[in-house]
Amino acid sequence: MFPDALGFLRLLQLADSALPIGAAAHSLGIETLAAEAALDTGQLPAFLRAWLEEAGTLEASWCLQAAAIFDTGETTGTAPWIDLNRTIAATKPARESRAASAVLGRRFLDLACGLSGNSLLNDFSRAAGDIHLAAAFGATGRALAIGPATAAAAYLHQSVAGLVAAFQKLLPLGQRQASRILWDLKPTILASIERAAAPPTRAACFLPAIEIASMRHPWLSTRLFVS
Amino acid sequence: MRAFRGPTGQALVHLNNTSGGILGGDRLDLRAELAPGARAQITTTGATRIYRSRAGALESLSTAHFDLAEDTLLELLPDPVIPFAGSRFAQSTTVNLAAGATLFWWEILAPGREAAGEVFAFEDLRIETEIRAGGFPIAIDRMHLQPQARPLESPARMGPYRHLASLYVCRAGEPAATWRSMEEQLGVQNCACTEQPDGVVWGIGLLTCDGLVIRGMSRSGAALVAGLREFWRAARLLLTGEPASLPRKIY
Repeated sequence: MFPDALGFLRLLQLADSALPIGAAAHSLGIETLAAEAALDTGQLPAFLRAWLEEAGTLEASWCLQAAAIFDTGETTGTAPWIDLNRTIAATKPARESRAASAVLGRRFLDLACGLSGNSLLNDFSRAAGDIHLAAAFGATGRALAIGPATAAAAYLHQSVAGLVAAFQKLLPLGQRQASRILWDLKPTILASIERAAAPPTRAACFLPAIEIASMRHPWLSTRLFVS
Repeated sequence: MRAFRGPTGQALVHLNNTSGGILGGDRLDLRAELAPGARAQITTTGATRIYRSRAGALESLSTAHFDLAEDTLLELLPDPVIPFAGSRFAQSTTVNLAAGATLFWWEILAPGREAAGEVFAFEDLRIETEIRAGGFPIAIDRMHLQPQARPLESPARMGPYRHLASLYVCRAGEPAATWRSMEEQLGVQNCACTEQPDGVVWGIGLLTCDGLVIRGMSRSGAALVAGLREFWRAARLLLTGEPASLPRKIY
């Protein structure tokens, strides 16, 4: 599962919250839940476990699918890539969260193209339609010869770290406590990757509270986040 | 199944066989095609009861496929699905919309037989929904609920709520501005407060194109259904210019 040293260092950079794609501007519904007192600090670990079990598994499945599409991309062209991104978009009912995924995906892939100089990744970047972050991460991982499961795990790790960081801006959560929560979630991340890779069932997601919170976000009176 | 002529000329069709209840191992398959210009309202005669599955029995399975030709209108308004304690059920529904086809479709999920103290006591529930317009997916929802393994009371899942509903409002080829306007009009009264006084929380999401989805959770099934009907009435009027015609039942 682990990449070589160079791949490992590249993966660290791509999964770093400091990557200049604007991920810190999004709470993906957490801001609404915090504003409506539907989520507090004590509930956060269970909340994140549920997020990983549901959305984490689904997003990891897209990472893995994007990696497989990249592997055959020289012969199949960009059609499967476009189809995957259409499917991802259709599974995101909340407008702001879907837009966030598309904006971050586009920025991520543009940056990765520039850094890697990979021609197939460049073709993916220029393909029609939106590009979602999970797909961009999975394809980029393969372009850098990183194992699909490793890239998916890194993707989920940076995703959940982003949710924790968003929560810290909204409700009391110290750095040490945040570090503990992230540390304890790592086995859950790996379990989500295993579920995402297990055939033949299609990954599902049941997070109506988060979806509805994300749908309600445009109507919050004060918003720190874009989504 | 028998079609009546509805008040606005549409075919009013009641599905009878789901209301008697679905047993472990049952297989139900429904296919409906609306010819160009056709209008139909399809509903059930009562809640879809999912009975407890015996040990070793196959899960019960219900599939439905709807093809809507050009300029058709389908209102798919079933009663709630009630999964009894120990039940295992899978439901898969696909809807294909040709140009100008209009869809109003709600789904309501109850937690179980609440009066008998059954709340999220079912074993396994999978519900898959896919809507395609012009051949492309505009809404995909795949949920897999296993309350014993993944608690539904999690604040990420249903939190303090027990009932869940979705209403899809779609028309293939309708301009994006229509949906933005509808989102604004429906959302400003229903999404701008923390929780409605009747214990319901609503959200509205624009689909990738050609529609929107209204999703709600509630502590009470009656409040959720009442709110859903109001959304349907409002959306029906905004999109078609016609008033909604309730299925012939006692509400």
